[in-house]
Amino acid sequence: MSLRHRIRTIYRKELIDILRDRRTLTAMILVPIVLYPLLLLGSIQAVSYQTEKFTEEEVVIGVINDAQGQSLDRLIRADAAALRREKEQQDATAENTELPPPLEKYAIKSLGSIHDLEARVRDRSIHIGVAFERDVVLDSPEVTNHITVHGDKEDIRSHHARRVVEEIIRRTADRARGERKAQAGLPATFDQPFSISFVDLSAPESILGQVLPLILILMTMTGAIYPAIDLTAGERERGTLESLMVCPVPVIDLIVGKFLVVTTVAIMGAALNLGSVAATVYFGGFDQVIAQTGGKMPIGTMVLILLCLIPFAVLVSAVMIAVCSYARTFKEAQNYVMPVFLAVLIPGGIAALPATRLEGMMLAMPVANMVLLARDLLLGAAVSPVNVIMVLLSTTLYAAAAVAIAANIFGRESVVFADAGSLKGTFERRLIRPTKLPSVSMSLFVVAMMFPAWFFVQASLSDGGRNAAADVLHGTARLMPVMFVALPVFILWYWKVDVRNALALRMPSGRHLLAGVILGVAAWVPAHEWNVLQARWLGVPEAVVKSAEQMAEAIRALPIGTVIVLIALMPAVCEELLFRGFLLSGLKASTRKWPAILASAAIFGVFHFFVFKFPVTVGLGVVLGYLCWQSGSILPGLVMHLLHNSISALSVVYPEWPTRIGVPVPQPDEAAASGLFVHLPLHVIAIGSAMCVIGWLLATRTVDGPTVPRGVIRAATVRERAF
Amino acid sequence: MDMVVAEQLVKEFPTPKGGLKRAVDGLSFRVGKGQIYGLLGPNGAGKTTTLRLLSGLMAPTSGSAYLAGYNVASEPHQVKRILGFLTANTGLYQRLSARELLIYFGQLHLMSAERAKQRADELIHWLGISEFANLRCGALSTGQKQRVNIARALVADPPILIMDEPTLGLDVLSNRVILEYIRRERDAGKTIILSTHYLDEAEDMCDTIGLLHDGRLIAEGDIQHLRETSGEERLSSIFLKLIHAREQVEALVS
Repeated sequence: MSLRHRIRTIYRKELIDILRDRRTLTAMILVPIVLYPLLLLGSIQAVSYQTEKFTEEEVVIGVINDAQGQSLDRLIRADAAALRREKEQQDATAENTELPPPLEKYAIKSLGSIHDLEARVRDRSIHIGVAFERDVVLDSPEVTNHITVHGDKEDIRSHHARRVVEEIIRRTADRARGERKAQAGLPATFDQPFSISFVDLSAPESILGQVLPLILILMTMTGAIYPAIDLTAGERERGTLESLMVCPVPVIDLIVGKFLVVTTVAIMGAALNLGSVAATVYFGGFDQVIAQTGGKMPIGTMVLILLCLIPFAVLVSAVMIAVCSYARTFKEAQNYVMPVFLAVLIPGGIAALPATRLEGMMLAMPVANMVLLARDLLLGAAVSPVNVIMVLLSTTLYAAAAVAIAANIFGRESVVFADAGSLKGTFERRLIRPTKLPSVSMSLFVVAMMFPAWFFVQASLSDGGRNAAADVLHGTARLMPVMFVALPVFILWYWKVDVRNALALRMPSGRHLLAGVILGVAAWVPAHEWNVLQARWLGVPEAVVKSAEQMAEAIRALPIGTVIVLIALMPAVCEELLFRGFLLSGLKASTRKWPAILASAAIFGVFHFFVFKFPVTVGLGVVLGYLCWQSGSILPGLVMHLLHNSISALSVVYPEWPTRIGVPVPQPDEAAASGLFVHLPLHVIAIGSAMCVIGWLLATRTVDGPTVPRGVIRAATVRERAF
Repeated sequence: MDMVVAEQLVKEFPTPKGGLKRAVDGLSFRVGKGQIYGLLGPNGAGKTTTLRLLSGLMAPTSGSAYLAGYNVASEPHQVKRILGFLTANTGLYQRLSARELLIYFGQLHLMSAERAKQRADELIHWLGISEFANLRCGALSTGQKQRVNIARALVADPPILIMDEPTLGLDVLSNRVILEYIRRERDAGKTIILSTHYLDEAEDMCDTIGLLHDGRLIAEGDIQHLRETSGEERLSSIFLKLIHAREQVEALVS
C-alpha cells in the first residue's frame, strides 16, 4: 500500500469518526448557523431599540433657580417653534435637508445651587445640569452668553441629553448670529471665510475588512481545537492508541492523516462561519446597517477571504496537533490549547491594528502575516506577489515543522503510556539516548524557529536600508557562525546526536571533491542565464537592482581578502553546515533522497528572502544537496559554494576580468535594470553547461557505507517473509 | 524455530525523584511455534512492560527481542506485520461500527479495501460478532467489546499473538468464549504469549508458564515441572512458595 493510500485510509476513517461526533457537529454547524444571526441581528435590534427609547424618553435638565429655568425653557420653545417653521418652509419649497425633531419631552428642575445640581447629575436623578452665567441676551452684539453644562460622559442618557441641549444652543446661536449680521448690514458670509466638506474615500468593505479576518481566525481556531484534541489526546485517553501503534504504519502517516482531518474540519468550520455571516448580512436586513456605514460585501471577496484562511487553517491545525500530541488526556490538552489560543491571538490582534502593514518583520511573523495579507486583499490594497509568496512559504515552513514535531511526540513511549515516566523526561539529557542522526522534527523545528529570527536579524542589521551595506555584511558574517553553526551543534550535543555524522563531516572521495570544484567554477553560467531569462520574463524589482548596486559599491571599497571571507567563506561554511549538514541529515532520517534534497533546497531558498533570487538559490541548493547526499560529506558542496560565491564577488571587484573571456560587462551608467542582465556569449554558455554536466556525472556515483540509513517509508515495502 | 525470543531484556523508567526504576530486569525466555506461553505474576511484576517490549511499543534500555527472527528494535515494521496485540483495557473507536473498525485496521495492515472487507466478514462470522457487527462500538457490552478486540488483533492473521490480560473484567461466559478463541488460534499453529493473574486459567491454557517477580523470571516450565520442583500441587501455592523462598534468600544475602 502506497504512502498516499495509507494516508487516505487514515484520513477517511478519522473524518468519518470526527463527523459522527455530536460535539463536532454542534461546534461546527449549529454554533455558526444559530450564533451569527442571533448575535448580529440581536445586537443590532438591541442598539436600534435603545436609540429609539432614548429619543422617546423625557430629558431631565437641572437648573440653579426658577429664573434660569424659565430662560432655558424659552430657548427650547423658541428653537422648537423655529424648527417647525423651517420644516413648513421646506415642505413648501420641496427642499430636502434633514431637520432634527424639535425637543418636546423634557422637564426642567430648579435645584438651588451648583453643588446640588452636580450631586443630582452624579446620582443620575437628572440627566444634565445647565447653568447660565447671566440672563440670556441675544440682541446685543457686545454680549457672549456663557453657559456651563454639567454632565456625565459615561452615562449614555446624560450624553444624549447634552447633545440635544447643545444642538439647541448651537441652532439658537446660528439664528442670533444671522439676525445680528442682518442688523449690521453684513453679508451672510461675513464670519465664514472658509467652509470645509469631507469626502470619504475609505474602501467600502473597510469596516468589515478590519474586523472580519480576526473573527474568522478565531472561528477557524475554534473549529480546529476540538478535532485536534479528540484525534490525539482523545485517542490516548480512550485507549485506542496502543492498538494503532502496533500497526505497521509509520507514525508520521498517522499524524499527517490526522492533521489533514483537523485542517479539513477547520476549513469547513471557517467556510460555514463565513457563509453564515454572508447569509445574515444578505437576508437579515443587516446590509442596511452596513450601507449606512458605506459598505457592502461582494461574493468575490468572500471567496478571497476563504482562500486566505486555508494556509492559516493549515498552520493552526499543525500547531494544535503538535500541542495536543503532548497531552495524555482531554483535560490536559485543553490546558495546553489555551496559551496557544492566546499566542495566536496576539499577533492576530497586532495585525488587526489599522497602522500595521505587511512589510519587514511582519512578512515572517506567523499568523500576523496571514491576517495582514487577508486584510490587504479585502481592502483592495496593492499586494505584491513577492509578499504573497513570502507569506505562503514561511507559513508552509512553520506548518511542516509543527507536523514533524507532532509526529515525533505522538509516538513517544512516555506519551503513549501514562506509566512510562514523565513528559519532562523528554528533555532530560541523562535519559536521552545517543543517535546517529537528528530526527526530522528536531531539524525542521530548529530551522523553522531560526527562520523568523534570522529574518529579524537581517531586518535590524539593514534597518530598512539605512545602514551601510558593508556593516550588514560584517554583522551577517559575525552572526552566521552563532546561529547557523553553534546553535545546531549545541542542540545536537544536548540530544546526544553524533555531531560528526549529523553534519556529514568526513573526507569525501577525490571524485566528489573534483565534482564540487568543477560545479563551483561553472555554476554561475546557468545561474546567470536563468536570471537573464527571468528578468526578461518577469522584470527586475527596483529593490533588487538597488541592493545589488549598494552591495557592489560596498564590496569594491573593502580589501579583497575581507570580501572573500565575508561573501564566500563564511556563508559557504555556515550555510553548508546548517542546510546540508543539520537539515538534510534530519530529513534523511525519515524521507527518501529526492524529497529530502528538494525540501532542504526550498528551505535554503526561503532563507535568502529575496524572492527574485529564489529559483536560482533553490537550484543551487538542489545541486549542493545532491553533492552532499552522493558523497556523504559536506566538503564537496562547501568547495562548490565557496568557489561559486567567490566568482560572483570577484566579478564585482574586478569587472574587467569577465571581458577577457568575452563576457560583456555593463558599464556603471547602464547598470539600470536592462544593463545588468545580458546573455553570455554562446561559447561561454556551451563550456559552462558542459562543465556542469561533467560535474554532475562525476557526482552520480554514491559512496558505500552506512551514511544513508534506510528510511522508515521504504521499510514498509520490504518483501514479506514466508512462515 | 523459536517464534519469540527475549534476551536479557532490561527496562528502566525515570522516577520523579531523578532516579531510575527497573521494571524489567534481565529477562530471557523463548517460545516455540504453536505454543501458549503464560506470563504470571502479581501486580507490578513487569508483565505489561515485558509484553510492550516484545511488541516494540517500548524500546528496551538494554537487551533485545526477536519475533519470528526479526529484531524488534531495528525491524519494527516487519515485526508489526506479523504481530497481533491485545490488552484488556484497549479501547475501540466509539463512533465506528465493529465492521468499520475491522476494515480500517485491515487497511492499516496494508490490505486492499476489498481484502479488508472480506477478512472482516470472515472474522465476524468466525468470532460470532454478526449480531452486533453494525452497531457502534460505543454501544457494546464489555464482553462484546473484547470479542471485537480479539477480531482486531487477528485481522492480519498474524502468526504471533501477544495478549495482556485478555480476560480481565469479563463474566464467566465471555471469559469462556475468549479462552476458546485463544485455544483455536493455538490449534491453528499460532504462537501466543499471554499474561494473567488468574492462575487456574493459566493452568488450563498454557503450555509453558513463566513466573515473574520484580521484573525477573523466578521459575519457568510446564505445570508438571513447576509442581515437581516446588512440591506443591496448586499453581497459587507454587507461586507463593517461590516468592516466599526468594524473599528469604534475599534476606539471608543482605
